[in-house]
Amino acid sequence: MTFARRRLRNGAIALLVLAAAGAAVWAQYLALRDPAILTGWMLVAAFAVLASYNVRKKFPFLPLLSSAAWMQTHIYLGLLAAAVFLMHVGVELPNGVFESVLWVLTAALLLTGFVGLAITRLAPPALTHHGERLLFERIPVLRAQLAEEVHDLALRSVETEASTTLADYYHTRLHSFFARPRNLLAHLVASERPRSKLCRELRTLDRYLSEQGRETREAIEDRVLAKDNLDFQVTWQGLLKGWLFLHIPLTYATALVAIVHIGLVYAFQAALQ
Amino acid sequence: MASGTAIARPRRWDEPFGGATMAETDVERVLGQPVFAAIDQERFPASQPLPEILRNDGRVVRFDPGDVIVREGDYGNSVFVVLSGSVSAVLDSTTDAELGRRTHAGRRSMWQALKQLWANNREPEARDIQRYFHGRGDMGVRGTNSHAQSYIAELSGFLARHTTASLGPGETFGEIAALARQPRTATVVATEATEVVELRWQGLRDIRKRDRGFRDHVDGLYRERRLAQQLEESPLFAHLSPETLAEIAHQTSFETHGSVEWFRDYKQVKARDPSAVVEHEPVIAEEGSYLDGLMLIVSGFCRVSERLGHGHRTVSYVSRNNVFGLAEICAHHWHGEPLTVRRSLRGVGSVDVLRIPTGLVERHVLPNLPADQLPPLPARAEETQEASEPDTEAQAVRTDTDLGLPQDLVDFFVDQRTINGTATMLIDTNRCTGCDDCIRACASTHDNNPRFKRHGPIHDGIQVTNACMHCADPVCMIGCPTGAIHRHASGPVVIDDATCIGCGTCAESCPYDNISMVEIRGQDGGFVIDQEANEPIQKATKCDLCYDQLGGPACQRACPHDALIRVDMRDTETLADWISRT
Repeated sequence: MTFARRRLRNGAIALLVLAAAGAAVWAQYLALRDPAILTGWMLVAAFAVLASYNVRKKFPFLPLLSSAAWMQTHIYLGLLAAAVFLMHVGVELPNGVFESVLWVLTAALLLTGFVGLAITRLAPPALTHHGERLLFERIPVLRAQLAEEVHDLALRSVETEASTTLADYYHTRLHSFFARPRNLLAHLVASERPRSKLCRELRTLDRYLSEQGRETREAIEDRVLAKDNLDFQVTWQGLLKGWLFLHIPLTYATALVAIVHIGLVYAFQAALQ
Repeated sequence: MASGTAIARPRRWDEPFGGATMAETDVERVLGQPVFAAIDQERFPASQPLPEILRNDGRVVRFDPGDVIVREGDYGNSVFVVLSGSVSAVLDSTTDAELGRRTHAGRRSMWQALKQLWANNREPEARDIQRYFHGRGDMGVRGTNSHAQSYIAELSGFLARHTTASLGPGETFGEIAALARQPRTATVVATEATEVVELRWQGLRDIRKRDRGFRDHVDGLYRERRLAQQLEESPLFAHLSPETLAEIAHQTSFETHGSVEWFRDYKQVKARDPSAVVEHEPVIAEEGSYLDGLMLIVSGFCRVSERLGHGHRTVSYVSRNNVFGLAEICAHHWHGEPLTVRRSLRGVGSVDVLRIPTGLVERHVLPNLPADQLPPLPARAEETQEASEPDTEAQAVRTDTDLGLPQDLVDFFVDQRTINGTATMLIDTNRCTGCDDCIRACASTHDNNPRFKRHGPIHDGIQVTNACMHCADPVCMIGCPTGAIHRHASGPVVIDDATCIGCGTCAESCPYDNISMVEIRGQDGGFVIDQEANEPIQKATKCDLCYDQLGGPACQRACPHDALIRVDMRDTETLADWISRT
């Protein structure tokens, strides 16, 4: 099945479920009942299923449907949960401190989920088409290797050129460039300006270099481009891994506050009765 | 010019079979055997006389009673002739347990599967050493590395349990595996002190080529024992009666193309210029030439290509049980088209082909061929000409293939020989987020040891990952001295850890570097040391396709983004569907 067809199928199912949920809430209105109880429990059920995906991942040896099927459920149920959340709280912000905290946590959880979805769909093709696709864990090793090579090239150029032009440029500009990941924000917006600037500066040195010096400059430029690809990979692969460090803690925090919220709702309801 | 190092040009027999040439007296004894005595030595060139072929491509091996000479299911590329003593071939099947393997026959129970949550070892590559000393049954091993020899301790009991055929001096066995690159069809054990001469495929090939009598003898054995069955396995011939199959088998010729040991030069081939790769592949049928028979691929893989400019455009690949030339024969039979090969067929690695005379195909196969087996008929010559005249440029830039895959991707798969895989791991890097859920799932299902590496060559966003492909032509299985690496009844190639002696033969043979040698640890976390050599004991490890896990390959099931698939490269429909999902 193509992805487009799957999106159509799952989207249609999600809309049907949403329509059913909307009808159920409308029925509550008609019956002069508070629909917040129903939507609240709908949210609890949705969050329970959404959070159980992480539990599924701990059991890869059990035949519990494929992770991809769980992920599809997670995505569409997340969208439904956002809609039900709006039904539950309405368009106004809550007035109590505790409810405000829960509102912020839930909104942040849903938001990080949607941002994560966008990142997981956009980053892989960007990484594939930018340059060599690398293992995240190998990047520091490769960066150190490039830094050492450029260091050696710059040092050797002092002997072969009888001039410190390249070495000076290395010292002032390249040493810090190779020392750690750079230009992450530029990579995030797919800007090539920092790389172009560095390469342009390097080529400007050609007028001060001998033939051999130019060859060394070209070798250094190749490594600048390679390092730039490493930075691109670090930026996007870091983002791919990093967003979960927001989404998962928010899941636990929301679950905790939601449990207290349910307890408080029933406690106050009992007191009112 | 830079000065190089001068060496003697490498020659055919620099590496004699078994590491040493056969002794003069043994060569004479072998030549005295009826099967070799009848060979006309005059037909051999001075550079390759028969005694030299035997001396370098043969070896005399001595076995004690109970020694296992070949195991059913093993991959081999040699033929055996009994010199003295006797051997028994097991006609009914031998089980893994009888051969000393302790791989699970089936899948784990739910409880065993769940137990992995807490019972997996924390140390990498930890083993229960006691398991190595129990459960071997009647099977024992003596010697180490490539000199290891498996034997059956209770031979009389073993023979009593099975139906066997006894073979004595002068008799031949193993020719099916050697000729057709098929798994050994029977286990053969020595029943008394026995000497056999083992002839590797290069020698078999050369003698077959030079001497008609020897060729008829060996091919006759193959014809008698296997060929009709092989024809029947092809869907094209499945509907024919045994008598018809026997007639076709009688007139079918058997051909071998390329080198059986293709895996040895595979890396050099990969390094070649893409256009030169095709030129190095042996031509089985050339575009534009006369088609003298239907070609049935018995083993190996072929590239199907069309001439384009100065090169060749790959339009498809074919493998075991596929046929080549059927469309042309149909066009000839029904439309009177000339019997001309419309595309070239080239061997990728080693290929065995059965050539079935066209007349027999027209007489027996075509009249009753089910409609779903009929190939799409090629465009008639005049139509092709008419169609191509107005827009030859459009024809020249065609990038489609018969497989529904982009042509550059087909080239990539064929050049990389990924087409060998029956469970190749492909990763769509346009969807893979690098979350490593696949690696974690693999580790969880293999005692916390991942059995693949998430990297490999990438073409247009498709990565062929470094994971065992469970090849259709598993060269890793050739030469395992204990039969530890074998094809499980459910399909995947697996290594029985208890039987593996860590010789590394399989890891060296794997052309794709998908087998790793690891130093094992005991339950206490310390390395297990060989008490004689005082060195860590190694074992071969690789992906086992989760053959004993519930639900199948954990890597594929663990991928949240549908980025990973384990696919049989012969199932081109599934492959094309997967590639074209976006």
